[in-house]
This record gives sequence, structure tokens and C-alpha cells, in this order.
Amino acid sequence: MIPLNWVVGLAAALFGIGVVGVLVRKNPLIMFMAAEMMWNAAALVFVAFARSFHAMSGQVMAFIIIGTAAAEVGIGLAIIVSVFHHRHRLDIDEVSRLKG
Amino acid sequence: MSSALWPEYLVVIGVMVTMLTVIFSQKSGIGAYFVALAALIASGIVSIVEWSSPNLPVFLFDHGVMVDAFSLVVNGLVLLAAAGALLIGWNDRRYGSDFPVLVLLALLGMMVLGLADNFIALFIGIELLSLPLYILAASRGTQVSGEAGLKYLLLGAFSSGILLFGLALLYGASGTMVISHLVPSHLVLPLAAGGLGLTLVGLVFKLGIVPFHMWVPDVYEGSPLPVTSYMAFGTKVGAAAILMRFLFFGFSLSSGWWGPAVGYLAVLTMIVGNLLALAQKDLKRLLAYSGIANAGYLLVGIASHNIQGARALLFYLLAYGLAVLAVFAIMTFVAQDRDSVSVNDLTGLYRRSPWLAGFLAIALLSLAGIPLTGGFVGKVYLLQAAWFANQPGLALGLVVGAMIGLAAYVRPLQRAFSAPDGAVLEPIPWPWAGSIVLIVAVIGTIGLGVYPTPIVHIVNQSAAFYWLH
Repeated sequence: MIPLNWVVGLAAALFGIGVVGVLVRKNPLIMFMAAEMMWNAAALVFVAFARSFHAMSGQVMAFIIIGTAAAEVGIGLAIIVSVFHHRHRLDIDEVSRLKG
Repeated sequence: MSSALWPEYLVVIGVMVTMLTVIFSQKSGIGAYFVALAALIASGIVSIVEWSSPNLPVFLFDHGVMVDAFSLVVNGLVLLAAAGALLIGWNDRRYGSDFPVLVLLALLGMMVLGLADNFIALFIGIELLSLPLYILAASRGTQVSGEAGLKYLLLGAFSSGILLFGLALLYGASGTMVISHLVPSHLVLPLAAGGLGLTLVGLVFKLGIVPFHMWVPDVYEGSPLPVTSYMAFGTKVGAAAILMRFLFFGFSLSSGWWGPAVGYLAVLTMIVGNLLALAQKDLKRLLAYSGIANAGYLLVGIASHNIQGARALLFYLLAYGLAVLAVFAIMTFVAQDRDSVSVNDLTGLYRRSPWLAGFLAIALLSLAGIPLTGGFVGKVYLLQAAWFANQPGLALGLVVGAMIGLAAYVRPLQRAFSAPDGAVLEPIPWPWAGSIVLIVAVIGTIGLGVYPTPIVHIVNQSAAFYWLH
């Protein structure tokens, strides 16, 4: 059996990669993927702790996270495609008509 | 099925019937709007009936949700926000025929946030609120609208990720999903501290508090007007409600862990938000920075961590929401078929329509906190809460922020009451649906300022949730 700490450590690494990905990359698709990676890191932590507590609630949460992530991908890809239609390039630095 | 959840069930039924009406009606069908409005009114009536029911609070789904006086007041506030957005965008083909369906879906998310008592309900509420709003922000189909949708989506997904990881760490530290069962003294410390920090950052991101506010002005400016009004009022109610539940129920005994952080964020937000509002030329952007500053005022209610704070926060949400609805109704009248209104577009408004100029003055002065308006009474209650909590710094920040804010709100008013430079300007038509919102919002703003007693009574009863856990 894999020790709990290793799993949580792996999830923390995934979460960190996701955060860096959102902050550093410029392609909205990659940024979106990195954000989804953060969600999956959280799902992994929930499953790991649920197993160590012998409780079901964490597993339920993981399923709900996966389902919501699927819904969010559907909406997200639609929005990204519609933005792409307007400019035929995907670079978040060029999506800057609105500036504050 | 439990009878306590009927307001939410009615919204679910409303979503389905509205969707079917959109599918089966002709292109110019207005039926969906009426169905959605009927669902809102029915849900509101059931919430009012439930208010006097003796068996509150009700715990359902193994402490998944709880219905109490607090959740019913949140229901009332978000129903008001949804009705306002629906009427401001009434039968406007530009936003697509799905507009009423998506407004109802986001409303359901906000209602769930008022009820949530465990992490699952919290997460579902946040996502149910956000996902329809991503679509609504991009629904205009123009370049700017798509950009607003994209930015909202990316930052929303990012902040939800932070929130989820924080909740996962809290679950690991406590072994429970239920917010009111978290016992701070039994938590595993490093995990719990990290979890609380990340969860707070995630929630504060949704509320638009200063270090995490970058997305607010862009998203507000790019979104269609009714959607922006919905974000400015409804989203703030939902995020403030869940933040209050989470901190007051889960961590009420260890307020030293979060109180100072929330207090500093509140002061920073009030001052920076109002300062940035000073420089804005676009009215929607000005309202966005005003929304940031007002989120800071709301945080004062949370940071003071007493029953006066909970009460003042709920009262201020209503006062702020009514003023925002009035300003957005006026902006749609002035904008007509455009998407945005600059401060200069208001020039000579008192000549074109004296009533509109007067109502704009009332709404903006309420946001600024001038006596005889709801905003003033709300700010007084917040000051009182900070005072009772023995935190003069918060009170000082609120006063300084409000002073700076006054200068920002006076500028559009000065344009509205200055002489028009061109020839005679045409008068402004009043669409009936928007007029209802405007008149109700203005009467409410003045009413709250002159005779706040009935609302204070309701809010007092609702804030008693703070002792009942």
C-alpha cells in the first residue's frame, strides 16, 4: 500500500504544476488544461484521505469534481472557439481589448 | 423530498419549463421570460411563507444543507438580483434566447450557497453559479464579450482549483466534510492552516477582494449590461453568504486564525477599490471598481466577527444591491442599443430626462453613503459592528474609503447635471420592464434610508444563526 504522504505529495506537485502553468503559459487552451490539473490534484487528495479514513464522502466529492470539470470543459472550449473565430490566433496577451 | 426546500425546487421546475418554452416557441417568443419571472415570484412567495414556519432550522442530506432564517434572507436577496437582471434584459434578442434559462440556473447556485453546510454543497453552489455566468458573459457574441467570457472562465477555473485544493486539505486535517462539524482544536495543524488559507483565497477571488480583483473590471466591462448587474449584485451575495457561513460556522472559535487577515484585506480593498474608481471613464468600469470597494465594506462585517457584523452585512447587501440595480437600469436606458456607457455620455442627462438624472443621483449617493439613503444606514451599521468588535482600524478604513468613493461618484453626477454642449438632445424612452426595476430600486433605496426598521428586524432575526450552531 502506498503511504498517504506520497499520494498527497504527488497531488501537491500536480497542483503546483497547474498553478505555474496558468500563470506562465500564454495559450488559453493550455492555461485551461493547467487549471483542470489543479482540480484533479484536489480530487486525488480527496480520494487519498477518504481511503485512509475508510469513509466514502471523499470519493463522492472526487466524482462530483470530475463531473463538474466535464461540464466546465464543454463551456470553456465553446468560449475559446468563439474567441478564436474572431481573431484566428490564440495568445492571451493579444486578447487585450479590455485593459484596467 | 423535504418541504423546506420548496423555494429551490420551484426554481428547478422553472428552469425545466423555461427551457422547454425556449425550445418549442417561435424565434420572437417572449414566453420564456414570463415563465422565468413566474418561477422567481413563486419561489419568493414560498420563501416568505417559510419564514414564519416554526421548525427552522432544518438539516437535510446528512448536514449537506441547512435551511434557516439566514438562508431564507439570502434567497430573498438573490431572487431580487435575478428578477432585476431578467427585467433589465427583458426580451432583448441580443443575448440569445437562453438568457432566462441561464439566469435561473445561476440563481439556483446562489441559493445553494446560502444553504450549504458541507464541502460538496459549497462546491456545487460555486460552480452552479459560475458556469452559467461564463456563458452569459460571452453571450453577446462580440469580440469584447467573448474576451470577457474567456477571462472570467480562466480565472474562475483557476480560483475554483485553489478553493478545491484548500477544501481537500481541510478534509484531510479534520476527517469531516461538514462545515459546522469542523473543530479547530482537533485539526492537524499544518494541513488545516494550508487548507484554510487556500479556501479563503478561493472564496475571496470570487468576491473580488483586492489582491485578487484583476479580473473584475475587464469582465464587468465586456459583459452585457443585465449580466453585469447580475454579477455585481447576485454573485456578491452568494460569495459573501458562503464566506460568512464557512468562517462563522467552521472556525468561529479560532477567529485569530483568519480575523486579522480578513481585516487587513477589507481595509486594503476599501481604499484601493475607491482610489481606482476615481480614474475611470467608462461607467461600467467605475461600477466594477465600486463593486470591489463595496466587497471590502462587506468584509468589514465578516472581520468584526460578531452578531452586529452578520446583521450589518446582510443589511448592506440589500442597500448595495438596490443602488446597483437602479444604476444599471438607468445605464440600459441611456445605452439603448450600445453595450457601454461612458461618463461623458451622461452629459446633459437632466435636460434629456430630469427624472432619470434625479434617480441616478439617488442611486450614486446611496453607493457613496450620503444620509437618507440605504447605503448610509448600511455603512453606519458596519461602523457600529467594527466598533463593538473593538477594531477601530476597520472603522477608520471604512470612513476613509467612503470619503474617496464620494469623489468618484460625484464625477458622473457632475456630468449628468452639466449643460449639454451640442444642440437639443432627444429624450430617452423608458422600456416598461426596466422602469419597474428602476422605480422599485429607487423607492427601496430611499425607504431603507428613511425607515429601515422592518428590514433591520428581519436581518436581526436572520443573523441569529450566528449563535445557533
